[in-house]
Amino acid sequence: MISTIGIIGSGTMGSGIAEVAALAGFNVVMNDLSRKALDSGLNRIKQNLNRSVEKDRITAVVATESLARIRTSEEFSPLETADFVIEAAIEDLNIKRDIFQKLDAMLNPEAIFATNTSSLSITSIAATVKRTGNVVGMHFFNPPPLMKLVEVVKGKQTSDETAAVTVELARRMGKAPVICKDTPGFIVNRVARPFYGEALRLLGEGVATVEEIDRIVKLEGGFKMGPFELMDLIGIDVNYAVTKSVYEQFFHEPRFRPHPIQRQMVEAGTLGRKTKKGFYQY
Amino acid sequence: MALKTICIVGDEALVKEYIALASSKRYKCTSTPSKTTTLALELTNISIEVKQKNLRRLDKSLKKSIPILSSSVTVTVAEQNTWIKHPERLIGLGALPTLLQGSLLEFAPSSLTTDAVKAAAQVFARSLGKETSLVQDSAGLVLPRILCSLINEACFALGEGIADGTDIDTAMKLGTNYPDGPVHWGMQIGLEQVHAVVAALHRHFGDDRYRAAPLLRSASFQDMI
Ligand SMILES: NC(=O)c1ccc[n+]([C@@H]2O[C@H](COP(=O)([O-])OP(=O)(O)OC[C@H]3O[C@@H](n4cnc5c(N)ncnc54)[C@H](O)[C@@H]3O)[C@@H](O)[C@H]2O)c1
Repeated sequence: MISTIGIIGSGTMGSGIAEVAALAGFNVVMNDLSRKALDSGLNRIKQNLNRSVEKDRITAVVATESLARIRTSEEFSPLETADFVIEAAIEDLNIKRDIFQKLDAMLNPEAIFATNTSSLSITSIAATVKRTGNVVGMHFFNPPPLMKLVEVVKGKQTSDETAAVTVELARRMGKAPVICKDTPGFIVNRVARPFYGEALRLLGEGVATVEEIDRIVKLEGGFKMGPFELMDLIGIDVNYAVTKSVYEQFFHEPRFRPHPIQRQMVEAGTLGRKTKKGFYQY
Repeated sequence: MALKTICIVGDEALVKEYIALASSKRYKCTSTPSKTTTLALELTNISIEVKQKNLRRLDKSLKKSIPILSSSVTVTVAEQNTWIKHPERLIGLGALPTLLQGSLLEFAPSSLTTDAVKAAAQVFARSLGKETSLVQDSAGLVLPRILCSLINEACFALGEGIADGTDIDTAMKLGTNYPDGPVHWGMQIGLEQVHAVVAALHRHFGDDRYRAAPLLRSASFQDMI
């Protein structure tokens, strides 16, 4: 039975996942490189919990108790008691491998190592630890407290039991887990590619304008947001990076080929909402 | 007000959807062109031969002032123009099963389409309670191209055993807020229809990115979900 969850990285995703885990009643140990990073992660959690109390989604008591379940540390030693670790450090294979190798030597061999990677191979992250069967992908979506979906990704050596425990844990965290194989983009980042790719091509070919394509997709198709509004929200640079990564990992499969319009917008520094200019002006 | 008679021919699923909507808006729908026909809809996506035959028959039987709205997601309007004597009455329509649930119709005029025909298409769409958008004549037009490409990708993922159909649909609905999962939506549209659009894109662009997923063609699809 899982009672303590270790979380590596207290950035956007790590702090969000810590909040979800603490609210679900788990003890959380959150780790990051610096006190400053930990404090800013903890602050985000506090703000979110306060907002939830204001909006009557949780009581003040639940907020206080949840916060009290989160311990923070720059050291790995407090993670020793964790039954399940979720790694949400920066997207770098060597750093992720290094974290798991260190933990491999310290934690109970039964403990499961989950990584929140979006674009790296789970199989590759697992390759340098002894417990390869206990390494799994647990891909949360941003922001973790709001997004219900968790992709549970089975690497080549992930055991069925590890996947089952991870699915169960996601459910206990109030999430909706799906299971998928360790392939580039998993489900969402792969299957969604044509939504952006075809819209960009339609634009490039002059079939319709940005505004018209978005309007058609929303009114005719019932989508909440059009592809260009969504690219502006996600960040054109982020979307371009995901496309490139999936394209390269699939050995240049033409279905995933990025579009020159994306690259040019990144080069121009017009990245969407965050720069106040993308396909639209903000 | 006298009922206006419209002639609707084409793929069964589409004809059914259009008749249901048009009848509810007080149109009289027939399957053969006649003297009282004021507008014709040709809704074949699957077989180009059938489409050609239907269009030629409509073109021959109807007065040349009667507009023909022709589904143009698997063959361009420009190509259809060469099949008939009066191409100026032709305007492309983005017809694909399930899309009448939305509130907009896509039209693609060709360079020959008259203003009167464009206006008639708009009036007809409005009478069905739909907004309109005029787009360039291009295989798949806008939404059918995006949607069928999404479904095709979901079929690749399904065929490669990445995840089961239910999980793919859950992931897309929760992860990207799609109104329906691509696997379920594909079944609702009909895989033959989706395949026809993807195959048309492949023909039109000659680009391997538009090749159809093996599952889209195979009958085993049903069993995999
Ligand atoms: N942001 C998203 O939308 C999103 C969504 C899903 C998955 N992810 C994945 O989640 C992971 C984290 O992303 P993020 O957006 O939270 O990044 P972030 O930059 O906000 O946070 C990363 C944190 O990891 C810390 N860190 C770096 N190296 C470390 C180490 N060796 N040990 C401990 N902590 C370390 C950093 O100090 C930082 O606080 C990445 O793998 C990313 O691909 C991100």
